[in-house]
Amino acid sequence: MRFNLLVTTALLIISGMVQAAESGTTVKKDSVRAAPFSDAKIVVTLPAATKVEILKKDGGWYQIKSAQGNGWMRMLSIRRGDINKPSAGSSASALAGLASGRSGTGKVVATTGIRGLNEEQLKAAHYDENQVTLLEASTSSRAEAQKFAARARLKARQMDYLADPGGSK
Amino acid sequence: MNKLTAMLFTAAGLALFLHTAQAFDLGQELKNAARELQKPGGSANLGGYSEAEEVAIGRQIAGNLLGAAPLVPDQKLQKYVNNVGRWVASQSDRPDLAWHFGVIDTNDINAFAAPGGYIFVTRGLYKLLNNEAELAGVLAHEIGHVIRKHHLKILQQGKMLDLGSKVLGKQVSDDKISRLIGSGAEIVSRSLDKGAEFEADRIGVVLAARAGYDAYGLPGVLQEIGHSAADDSSVALLFKTHPHPDDRLARLGEAMDSRFDNLNGQTVEKRFYKIK
Ligand SMILES: [Zn+2]
Repeated sequence: MRFNLLVTTALLIISGMVQAAESGTTVKKDSVRAAPFSDAKIVVTLPAATKVEILKKDGGWYQIKSAQGNGWMRMLSIRRGDINKPSAGSSASALAGLASGRSGTGKVVATTGIRGLNEEQLKAAHYDENQVTLLEASTSSRAEAQKFAARARLKARQMDYLADPGGSK
Repeated sequence: MNKLTAMLFTAAGLALFLHTAQAFDLGQELKNAARELQKPGGSANLGGYSEAEEVAIGRQIAGNLLGAAPLVPDQKLQKYVNNVGRWVASQSDRPDLAWHFGVIDTNDINAFAAPGGYIFVTRGLYKLLNNEAELAGVLAHEIGHVIRKHHLKILQQGKMLDLGSKVLGKQVSDDKISRLIGSGAEIVSRSLDKGAEFEADRIGVVLAARAGYDAYGLPGVLQEIGHSAADDSSVALLFKTHPHPDDRLARLGEAMDSRFDNLNGQTVEKRFYKIK
């Protein structure tokens, strides 16, 4: 009985979470646009550290609500969560954690497998040839991967590497 | 054998005794190599290892890491990750390396790269992912470390004597690989410099975009991880070895700017393999 009650409560919280928008904060001054395109009409320009509500994501854009106006903003202009609260302690992140199967502290709920992977464990690790054989058994060839990509209509395209923005080099 | 004698043997072998002149050359070679290593983004070859040697080093590190955390026993999952990873790696400067990808069984949130194309993502990180583009972005960051030989450079910096033996044209033996990489899979827990991490992020978004994916997969995962507190044990190692996700996102934002605006990549949510 008590277990059922717990599950019901959890489900209620989760379903509430799905509807609730996630909060965010602008990390720099940027425009809110009418559509998720760089040439869409500017609705309003928000200064850094403005609180927004994130409704959904589309490529590099978040649809947001703010006191100054609603629309689309570049995803990388927004930091998810409330900048004034430590991310782990905020109730929003506790709920988000619950919804994604994690506990309130952001820790993954342990079900199976080894907990954690710290430096000591890595240092003490011993070579496992069977595991390497297993790893290599799942390897895909270039041609295989090409077919796999084609099945999702993924097409390769040209693009140069990005320059280092802080780079003097 | 005392330590000094052993070191001399390692460095120059018999050549030191046969040709004194060559020993002087070796000193010069080491200086040159050291200078080469200090250059930002140093040359691909840097007088270092052949591809076969690089793969042998990576294979040993991979085996050690798997000794700490084995593969998730789900062949479909492993094959799926290899397909995504190989497709992304095919868009890199090293498309014909024998790339290997694996999901390892730990709740820790992290991903690892070893030289020669061995790449791992933890089950903890995989469970945070929402679609194939996010997986592609995470793998692409690690592919960036491999193609720029970031870890190999660390190994070479740490062990100039072993590099010396290579200068004299000797093969790197298994025993030498063990000495080179240190205990177990310790090397994957060593921090690279921040510049190398930002570089891998920039390569990551470009490789994902080249592969036809939504380039914002990696930034999306970084935002998700950014929620976690630094004292959360599942991200402790990741936060120790990488700059904070907020810093990485800020740098990526500057670098990406508006360059991806007209690229409509796919997220591929439908066939994204859900982990059990
Ligand atoms: Zn990295």
